[in-house]
Amino acid sequence: MANIMNSLYNMRILDDLARQETVIHKLHSLMKLLTTVSYLTVVVSFGRYEIGGLLPFLIYPVMVFTLAELPVKPILLRILIVSPFIIGIGILNPFFDQQGYLLGERVISRGWITFGSILLKSGLTVTAALLLIATTGMDRLAGALRMMKIPRIFVLQLLLTYRYISVLMEEVARILRAYSLRAPNQKGVHRSAWGSLAGQLILRTFDRAQRIYEAMCLRGFAGEYNTGGFKEIRAWDLSYFIGWALFFAVARMYNIPMLIGSLITGVIK
Amino acid sequence: MHMADALISPIVGGTMWVATAGVAAYSIKKIQTEMDEKKVPLMGVMGAFIFASQMINFSIPGTGSSGHIGGGLILAILLGPYAGFLTMASVLTIQALFFADGGLLALGSNVFNMGFFTCFIAYPLIYKTFMKQGYSTRRILIASLFTAIIGLQLGAFGVVLETLFSGKTELPFGTFLLLMQPIHLAIGAVEGLVTAAVVAYIWNSRPEIIEKAASGEALGNVAIKKVVGGLVIVAMITGAGLSWFASSDPDGLEWAMINTAGTAELEAPEGLHQTLLHLQSKIAFLPDYSFKASGNEPEPGVGEGGDAWPAISGGTSAAGLVGGGMTLLLAAFMGFGISMLKKRKSKVSI
Amino acid sequence: MSHHKLEVKDLHYSYPDDHKAVKGMSFCIYHGESVGIIGANGAGKSTLLMLLMGVIFPSQGEVCVGDVHVTKKTLPMIRKSLGMVFQDPDDQLFMNTVYDDVAFGPRNYKLDEKEVEKRVLNALELVGILHLKDRAPFKLSGGEKRAAAIASVLSMHPDILVMDEPTAALDPKSRRKVMKLLTSFNHTKIITSHDLDMIFEMCDRTIVIKNGEIAADGVTSEILVNAELMDACGLEIPLSLQNCPVCRTKKV
Repeated sequence: MANIMNSLYNMRILDDLARQETVIHKLHSLMKLLTTVSYLTVVVSFGRYEIGGLLPFLIYPVMVFTLAELPVKPILLRILIVSPFIIGIGILNPFFDQQGYLLGERVISRGWITFGSILLKSGLTVTAALLLIATTGMDRLAGALRMMKIPRIFVLQLLLTYRYISVLMEEVARILRAYSLRAPNQKGVHRSAWGSLAGQLILRTFDRAQRIYEAMCLRGFAGEYNTGGFKEIRAWDLSYFIGWALFFAVARMYNIPMLIGSLITGVIK
Repeated sequence: MHMADALISPIVGGTMWVATAGVAAYSIKKIQTEMDEKKVPLMGVMGAFIFASQMINFSIPGTGSSGHIGGGLILAILLGPYAGFLTMASVLTIQALFFADGGLLALGSNVFNMGFFTCFIAYPLIYKTFMKQGYSTRRILIASLFTAIIGLQLGAFGVVLETLFSGKTELPFGTFLLLMQPIHLAIGAVEGLVTAAVVAYIWNSRPEIIEKAASGEALGNVAIKKVVGGLVIVAMITGAGLSWFASSDPDGLEWAMINTAGTAELEAPEGLHQTLLHLQSKIAFLPDYSFKASGNEPEPGVGEGGDAWPAISGGTSAAGLVGGGMTLLLAAFMGFGISMLKKRKSKVSI
Repeated sequence: MSHHKLEVKDLHYSYPDDHKAVKGMSFCIYHGESVGIIGANGAGKSTLLMLLMGVIFPSQGEVCVGDVHVTKKTLPMIRKSLGMVFQDPDDQLFMNTVYDDVAFGPRNYKLDEKEVEKRVLNALELVGILHLKDRAPFKLSGGEKRAAAIASVLSMHPDILVMDEPTAALDPKSRRKVMKLLTSFNHTKIITSHDLDMIFEMCDRTIVIKNGEIAADGVTSEILVNAELMDACGLEIPLSLQNCPVCRTKKV
C-alpha cells in the first residue's frame, strides 16, 4: 500500500513538473510527442550488441533535463524502481550467451554486452517517456492526441481515468485503513471479505460515475467532448522536432563515438 | 507482464500498435453506435478503480502470501468487451506515461496482451458460454476462474512471442515459455478467484449492473467473431511478411529491422532462428577479427570516417572505448554548460 | 423577468423499486428569491433536486422553468438557465485543470474560444480563484474546490443556482467565505442543506420536506424557530438559536 501511495506521489510530482514554464514546456505538445516517438523508435532499432552507438542518445535526455530544469533524482529513481522485468529477462543473457567478447584488452562474456545494451536501452526509453510527461502534462498531451485524430471518446475517457486515480486511491486507502484497524495481524484482505470489500468499492464507483455523468449533462454534455481550439504549431516548434529527428538519424547511421575515438587515437599516433 | 520498450523491436512494436489501434477503433465505433454516452464517465472512473484496486492485497488462503488483480476480466464483465478493452487501454497508457510500466512503443503489445485476449477471446468464448445457462455464485466462480486463467495464459504467450520475435534477449523459446506460463497460471488463478468473489457480490446486491453489461452484447457475439476473423487475417499477413523477411536473410528479423532503419548494422547480428551450434562457429572468427581492427590499424578509418568502422565488429576497440568516454563527457559537458549559462542569465536579470 | 420563475406542480416520483420518494409537491420560486430546502435524511431532497434539473422525470406532475416545461426536448435550454452545484466537488470537477473544468460548459454550447476564455476568467474572478486556473483539482483545498465548482456553473451564465449542501465538509473559515460569496450573487438561489444556521442566514424562505411531502413553506425566521415543527420533521432549530451552552439562557 505504501508502495502505491508512492506511485501516486510520483504521479503528482510529474504533474507539478509539467506545470513549469521553460523553453521545453512551452513547445507544442504534438512536436514533443513526435520527437519522443522517433527517439524511442531509433533507440530500440539498435541491435542487441550495441552499446557504443547508443551513447550519443544520452545527449537528448541530458538536454531536455537541463533546458526544462527538471530535477534528475525523482525521475532517475523511477527508472531504477521500474525495471524488474527487464533485469529479470536480461540477467539471463550472460548465462545463455557465454561467447567471448573483446572489450578493449579484456575478454568478457558477450551475454554481458547484450545485458548492458538492454539496460541502457531501458534507461533511455523509460527516461524519454517520463521526460515527455514531465514537460507536457496530461492535459496538453490529450490536446496532442486530439490533433492526431484520436477519437474524442477515448481522449475524454483517458482524462477521466487520470483525474480520478487520486480520488479513488484515497478512497481505497481509507477502506484499507478501516479494515486493518479491525483486523490486525492480517497480511492482506481475508477471503471472506474479498467480494464485499472490492465489490462495494465498485458499486460506489458506479454511483460516482453516475453523478459525474449528471454533472456533465447539466453542463451541456451530449456525447461530444469539446476541447476548444488547438494551439498553433510555430516554426520554432517544428524545427525542434526536425532538428532532433535529424540528429537521431545521423547518430543511427554513423557510430559517433567510434568516429571520435578513431580521430583521437589516430591523432595521438 | 508489461512488455518494455527495451525488449521490443520497432517492427514487432509497430505491428502490435496497428493491431491494437484497429481493435480500439472498432470498439469505439461500437460504443458510439450501440451504447449510450453514459458509459464514457463510467469507463473513465472504472479505469481509475483498476489503479486503486491494485492497492488491495488479497490474502491467498493456504499460502501465506497475497496478490492483487490486473482487472481485465472485471472490466469485461462489468462494462462489456468493447468498453472493457478501451478502459484497459487507457489504464495501460497512463501506466506507460507516469509509472514507466511498459513503454510507449510497447504499449500496443501490452494493450493487446492484457486487453484483447481477455476481452475478445476468453470473455466471449468462455465466460459468456458458461453464463448462458444463467447466473449463480457457483457458475460465476467456475467461469471467472477459467476465463482469467485462459486469458492470462494467452497474454503471457503473447509476451513470449513478441519478445522472441523482437530478438533482444538470448532466452531460448522453451525456457522463456517455461518461465512465463506457470507463473501466469498462478496469477490467473488469483485473478479468477477475486474476480468471482467481486462479481458474485455485485450480482447479489445490484444484479441490474451485470445484466446491463451482458445485454449490451446481444448483438455483440457476431461482431466479436468479425473482430477475431479480421485479426486472424491481419496476423497472417503480418506473419507471412515477417517470415518472408526471416527466410530471405539468415539474420531474419534483425535484417528486416536494419532495413527499416535504413542503415547497416555495425556488428554481425544474431539471427532469431540460429542455433547454438551456429553461434559456436562464430566464436572462432570474431575475436581475431576485432583484434586486427582494434590493436594495430585504427588509422584507415580516420580519413574517410565511414569506411573502417564496419569492420570492427564483435568486440569494442580502443577507439570505441575512447570515443564512448568522450561522448559521455560531451553529454555531461552540454548539460553542465547549459545549466551554468542559465544560472548566469538569471543572475544578470536580477 | 417571468422566465426566472421556477414552478413545481403536483410532483410525484417513484423509484424502480416502487419506493415513493416524492408525493405531490407544489411550489413556485420567483426571481431573486433565496430558498432553503431542508429535511431529514431520506426525506426526498436529492430526488427533488434531480427532478428540478431534469436528471430524472416525474411520474406525475410537472416542473416549469419560466414558461417552459422540463422535458427531454427542452433540456438543453433548461440547463442553460439552471446551474447546479453538487455536494461533492470531486463529482463536478472532472477535468484536469480548473480552467478546462470551468470551460467545459461553455464549450459544450459551442461558443467560440474567445468568448469561452472571457467567461472562464470572469467566473474565476467572481469566486476569487483566478490565480488557480492552471491547477489540478487534487491540488485544491476543500474551500477552493467548492469555489471552482461554483465557477464551473457560473461560466454558463445561469439565472437560477441550485446548490446541494454548499457548506458540507468545509472548515469554519471556508464555510464563511462560501456563504459570503453566495450572498454576493443576485441569482435566484435554491439551497438544500443540513446546515440550518447557514439557511437561517442566507435564505428568506424555507421549504421543509418530510417523507416526500412539503411539511411547511414560508418565511425562514418563522419556520426555523418552530421547535415543534422542526422536531416532527427530524430536525432541530439552528444551533445559533438554541440555548447558550455556557449560561443556559434561552434565545428564542
